Formats: sequence, C-alpha cells, structure tokens
Amino acid sequence: MDGGKVSEKTANHKTVNRDNGGHNSQTPHSAGVSRRKLVKSALTLGISGAAGLTGLKAAAQPDRQPDPLITDIQDWNRYLGDGVDARPYGHPSPFEKNIVRRDVAWLTADSKSSVNFTPLHALDGIITPNGLCFERHHGGIAEIDPASHRLMINGLVDTPLVFTMEDILRFPRENRMYFLECAANTGMEWRGAQLNGCQYTHGMIHNVMYTGVPLKYLLAEAGVKTSGKWLLPEGADPSHMTRSIPLEKGLEDCLVAFKMNGEALRPEQGYPMRLVVPGWEGTMWVKWLRRIEVGDKPWHQREETSKYTDLLEDGTARRFTWEMDVKSVITNPSPQAPITHGRGQMVATGLAWSGHGKIKRVDVSVDGGRNWQHARLDGPSYSKSVHRFYYDFAWDGHPMMLQSRAIDEFGRVQPTKDQLRAARGVNSIYHNNSIQTWLVGKDGSIENVEVS
Amino acid sequence: MLKCLKTLSWLAVVLLLCQHAQLLADIEKGEQLYRQCQGCHSIGPDAPNGFGPQLNGVFERDAGSVAGYDYSPAFEKTVGQGLRWNNTSMDEFLEAPMDSIRGTRMAFPGVKNADDRKELIEYLKHIGLDGELPLTKKVKAIRKKAQAKISPLPAETLIPQHGVLHLGRAALDEEILAWDIDIRPDGAGLPEGSGSVVDGTELYDNACAACHGIFGEGSGRWPVLAGGQGTLTEERPEKTIGSYWPYLSTVFDYVRRAMPFGNARSLSDDDVYAITAYLLFLNDLVEEDFVLSSENFNSVRLPNEANFIADNRQQEMPAADAAEPCMSNCLPQPARVTQRARILDVTPDSNDDESDTVAIE
Repeated sequence: MDGGKVSEKTANHKTVNRDNGGHNSQTPHSAGVSRRKLVKSALTLGISGAAGLTGLKAAAQPDRQPDPLITDIQDWNRYLGDGVDARPYGHPSPFEKNIVRRDVAWLTADSKSSVNFTPLHALDGIITPNGLCFERHHGGIAEIDPASHRLMINGLVDTPLVFTMEDILRFPRENRMYFLECAANTGMEWRGAQLNGCQYTHGMIHNVMYTGVPLKYLLAEAGVKTSGKWLLPEGADPSHMTRSIPLEKGLEDCLVAFKMNGEALRPEQGYPMRLVVPGWEGTMWVKWLRRIEVGDKPWHQREETSKYTDLLEDGTARRFTWEMDVKSVITNPSPQAPITHGRGQMVATGLAWSGHGKIKRVDVSVDGGRNWQHARLDGPSYSKSVHRFYYDFAWDGHPMMLQSRAIDEFGRVQPTKDQLRAARGVNSIYHNNSIQTWLVGKDGSIENVEVS
Repeated sequence: MLKCLKTLSWLAVVLLLCQHAQLLADIEKGEQLYRQCQGCHSIGPDAPNGFGPQLNGVFERDAGSVAGYDYSPAFEKTVGQGLRWNNTSMDEFLEAPMDSIRGTRMAFPGVKNADDRKELIEYLKHIGLDGELPLTKKVKAIRKKAQAKISPLPAETLIPQHGVLHLGRAALDEEILAWDIDIRPDGAGLPEGSGSVVDGTELYDNACAACHGIFGEGSGRWPVLAGGQGTLTEERPEKTIGSYWPYLSTVFDYVRRAMPFGNARSLSDDDVYAITAYLLFLNDLVEEDFVLSSENFNSVRLPNEANFIADNRQQEMPAADAAEPCMSNCLPQPARVTQRARILDVTPDSNDDESDTVAIE
C-alpha cells in the first residue's frame, strides 16, 4: 500500500465514524498518519477506556467476590504435566474438541464419495491448519507409500516420462499460498438460506502454503509438442479423477505440490503429491496425482460435463467455469459462534478471496446491506489467497443483519443473492459467490437468513 | 530321547510359524479381495450400515442379525430357518449370492474362485466385533519386509538426454497403455471391442443396479442415470445421461475409469461397451437389439450436446458493471428478513457434547 491510499482510507474511516457515532475508531497505525494524530487518538481511546472502567466499577463493585481462579491454586499450577515424549505429534487442546471438520450426511449417498467442511467460524488469520482442511473425495482416501508412487507425463510430448518421488524432489521448488475452494461451496444456498453455520455454508475452502515444483519444469523435461494445447491430470485413487486444463494455465502458475504448511500433504489432501491450480475450482486440483497427459483438445470428462457445469434458467449450461469469483463471508460471529458477551465493543471478522487476484477492499454492513463501512484488512495479502478482515465496533444490543462484500484488485464486486439469481436462476449448484447475511438477535444468537 | 524330543518341539515351532505365515498371507489376500465389497459393506470401529449391513464380527454371527439394517424379505425368510455364518454357509453364499438366497438385496454376481472365497472368509473371520483386525500389525510388518526385498533398479550409467534437467526416465509403451485410458468425444482413445444391450442388461443388473436402480432411476442419493428429458428448465431438473450429458464418450470413459464403485477397473472393454449400450437403451436412445462398438461409437449423439456454452460470467450483471458499489442508503427502506434457515432445520449438530450446546434455540 502506498501512503496516498492509506490516508484516503483513514479519511474514509473518519467519515464513517462521524456517520456512526456508536462505532469505535480503529487504531491508526500506518505510515500516512502523523505523530500528533497518533498521540491524540491514543488519548481519546485511553479516556473512553477509563470512562468505561469507571462505569463498570460503579455498577459491580459492591457485592463482588474475589475470583477463585485467581485466589486459589489450580491443579495446573501445582502438578507436573506431560513430558516432551507424551505428544510426539502435537494435537489441539481438549477444550477445542468441537472444532473439527463436519459433514452433512444427507448431502451425499456415501461417505467415500462425499465432502466435509472446514470450521471457519473458529479459525483466524489466513492459514488453515492441515487437519481442518475440508475433504472432498470421489472414491475415498487413497493411502499411498511414496516409494510406490509414480508420476507419468505422456501424450503430445517429445519423451513420455515417469518420475519417482525422489525425482520430483530434485527439481527447483517454490512456496506459494493459495486458497482452494470447491465450486459447490455455498451451493446449498441457491434457493434460499438453508444451513445454519458458516462451516456448512462456506466451509468448502481452505488456504494453505504449498511447497512444490512448478508444473512447467516437469513439462519442459518431457518437451511439449507445438500441437499440445490441453492437459489432463489424473489421480491414482479409485475415481481416477481427471480434468481438462488449458496448457496456458499449466505453464502460468500450476504447481505439483508435496508439502502443505511445511509438512507432507495429508493423505486426504492427496499425499504424496497433488496438483495446485491457483484460483480455479477445487476439483481441478487433482489429488494423488499420477499422470498428466498433453493433448490438442479437451477431454470432456465426467467432472466437467455431468458435474461442475452450471445449469442456467433457460436450460443451457456453462462449461469450463474454472475461476472462483470474488467472495467473502463473516466467519465470526456466525450461527456456530454467537455473541455471548452482550452489548459493547466487539470484533467481527471474516475471509475474502478472489480467484482472479488480490482483494482490494471489504465492506461490512450491520443493517442488511443498506449502509456499508470499510473493514480493516490484516495479515499478508497474496494473489489467489484468502484475506483476513476485521470490523471493530461497539454493538448497541439491537438485532443486526451482518453482511460482508469483497472487491478484488480488478474492481470485481461480490454480488447479492438476488443479483446472481436474476442472472442464473437457482439450479446452477456451482459458483455461488453471493453476499451472506447473518441475523443477530438481541440475545446474541445468530441465524442464516436472506434479506431484501 | 531328550534330543529327539527337542528336535520334535523345534519342528513343531517351525511348523506353527509356517502355518502362521500362510494364515497371514491368506488374510492379507482376503483383505485385498474385500475391497470389492466396500461399496456396500463397512468394517471398522462403529462401522455404519451402508447399502449392505456392516460386517464387524460377521463370522459365527446369525445371518440377518445386524441391528438397524433393513433386510430383504427373502433374506429374512432364510434367516428364519436358522442360518449362521460359518465356513460352509459363507462359501456357498459368496459363490453366487443371488442364487443362494433368491431375492437378496446383494446384487453381486459372486466370487467364483474357491481360493478367493477361502481367503475372503479367512479375512472376515478375523474381524472382531469391534471391527478391528487383531493381526493388522503383524500383517503390516510382513508387508514391509516383503517390500524391502524388492531390489532397487540398477543405477543408470548414462545421464538421460531428455529435457533440461535430465530428470525422470522414459515411459515404456506398456506403462502408457496401462494408464492412458481416457476417451475423447471424437472417439480418440476408444479401445477395440463391442457390446450389446442384451449383454449390458445382465452386467448392469449385477454390477450397477444396486446403487443406480434397475431402470437407472437411482437409489437413495446415488446418481440417476436415465430419464429426465425436458426437465432442465423445470424447478427440479433431473440431469441424466439422456437429459444432460453432452457426450457418450464420457459415459464410456467414466464407467471404465471409476465403476463399479468400490471395484474400479474390473470391467473388460467389451463389458464397458455393453453397459454403455444398455445405458443408451435405458434412455430410449437405441433399440433393444443395438450393439455398440468401436466402429459405430461416433455415430451416436446425446440429445443435450448443443446446450453447453462457454463461460461468460464476466459479461453478466453485476460483474460487467465496473461502477463503485453503493455505500449508504443503498436500499429504499430498511432491510427485512425474507427467509430463515431455522425453518428448514437441516443443519447437523455442531457439538459432540450436549453440555456445550451453544445459545441457539
């Protein structure tokens, strides 16, 4: 961000704050803010903070008992805990046991060709932990010994090749952060609000740092013939998953990845290697990748004809709808993460992403889309990776209709549900990138709703 | 005398070890064979009933006794006569389930090889009520040993000349042939062969109907394969091979690649031609005497081919509208709720522990 943009944003914040007196200002922290302003706003914050404290004291001091969690010595203060040999591969605290991938059993016929969902409501930052990345299999998880795995490149190439895992590790490798979103993410919501949980409405996405070999290096070893225009990656699982990908995309930014967030791919994410197709729908990221064929025409495989094509209202269907469009959602608070602290200062946070590039801006509405404020983007901003946004404000305790709206670096704006339905009807299944509404009740409970 | 006894006992140990190794080998083969059953049956801790009942502790169990599984009337009748799963009864049933118990839901032609059945039964015999295979660890150790015995390929004396970094090795024709099974709409990749609607009927009934229904109507949430023509503009479109799929090559490719579910790559090319022909018949696209072959494949067109269009999302509103989005008073009046997810009540419970239930009514 350059200084000019920052000051423009700061100016926006000030306007917003004036219009909405109840909303706390965000701490200015960027280069464009003068030292005097900084001191002044810190003072303001300090004063309001002190006032708040005084108020609390006045209300609660008389009958307050000391907190036994502080005055008593707790077990974990006194007794020794596990040693270093107890957890050779660490796992989350038992108090986080409900934060797991979950499925919706009625969605599919069999768990081996099914999907589960990332618990977005409980995560922060932009990295999805490996054990929580949603799963989608078409024939169960293939368990493959890397020593028994082969990657073949054949078709319109000078020399059809076979690589072992060891060969792959001898290529120059790169680290890149990308989101993977299933084309059917939010697909259950086309006809209306259906699932009460951000995990279920938006959880078919994860965001991971991949280590892998650029596909172009592997293709260069085989030597793509000039007639080669398309690629067909294929998986080693019982579905032998295949998708047609234009060669151009393969050369642009695809990776053959073997690590995620620093460790080996998880079996459910394609161990020992998977294809990474940045910004494009999840089924193209073939797991357990064992073959890449080069051809001169697309293959029109099952997952790009019968499935993953978008039926429109007039009976025609779009095919090869690869890019994931600009999208965002407030992950917390949300139905699985209600507001439990009552009115006052709070954080609304969420994710925004675009298969075309970076996110430029996220707006948040508390009144169902009538008025919008700019949210604060925080954390690294990478192309085709999720962006974390925050909206810090004081809740007045009245019901809210929370929405977020993302805008990417090319100015693409996330559409409303009604706009998408007007353009496509309700039977597309895939590529629903519309604005989500959470209805917050007076008691802080939250529900998935639609508004107009 | 003592020495003799010692030798004898040593021999007995060796014999036991040999038997043990044989048993492990049988169980391991049985485990491989069991994979073809996984499409319908489950094994493991808390294994659920699928299209067939779960098989934990199936050996020495009374037939038809799995709680919560809806057995066919035919099966229940047989059970009434006191059928129990042991070596003999299992062997007989597995050889030809549909002949053994006429009317069973187990639409599976059977395991024809007696040795295969023996190994499969040996595997099932060792599955405990908890769904665990107690020998798993030992089996794994033996596997590891066997793998270690495979000697690595001799090191290349010459650096390969292909490519830039000279990594990988040239693929052999047999290897490409084994993996390159994709078919294109123009028929590229089709193997030689043929299959008739008549042959396809039997194959389909045995290998496909359990999930996809006798007439391709689909069972439960398994895909519907036939019918649905003219429904694409209706409120609930039915997307089948006849109503939606653009190309027949996709049917052939997918059946050969991934079907039957749980036993992929088990059909011969002629079988795939026959099943594909039968699917055309189920969709009223060919007559009963039709034979599909590599010669006439390209003459068959699916009705919906012309209705697929390129991705034009970027031309549709609102993506095509580059204007700055509205920031204030964007709706003429305050927003009101028009639909609530709570009414449908289809969301799974997000907590494993009742005491942790969140504050949602």
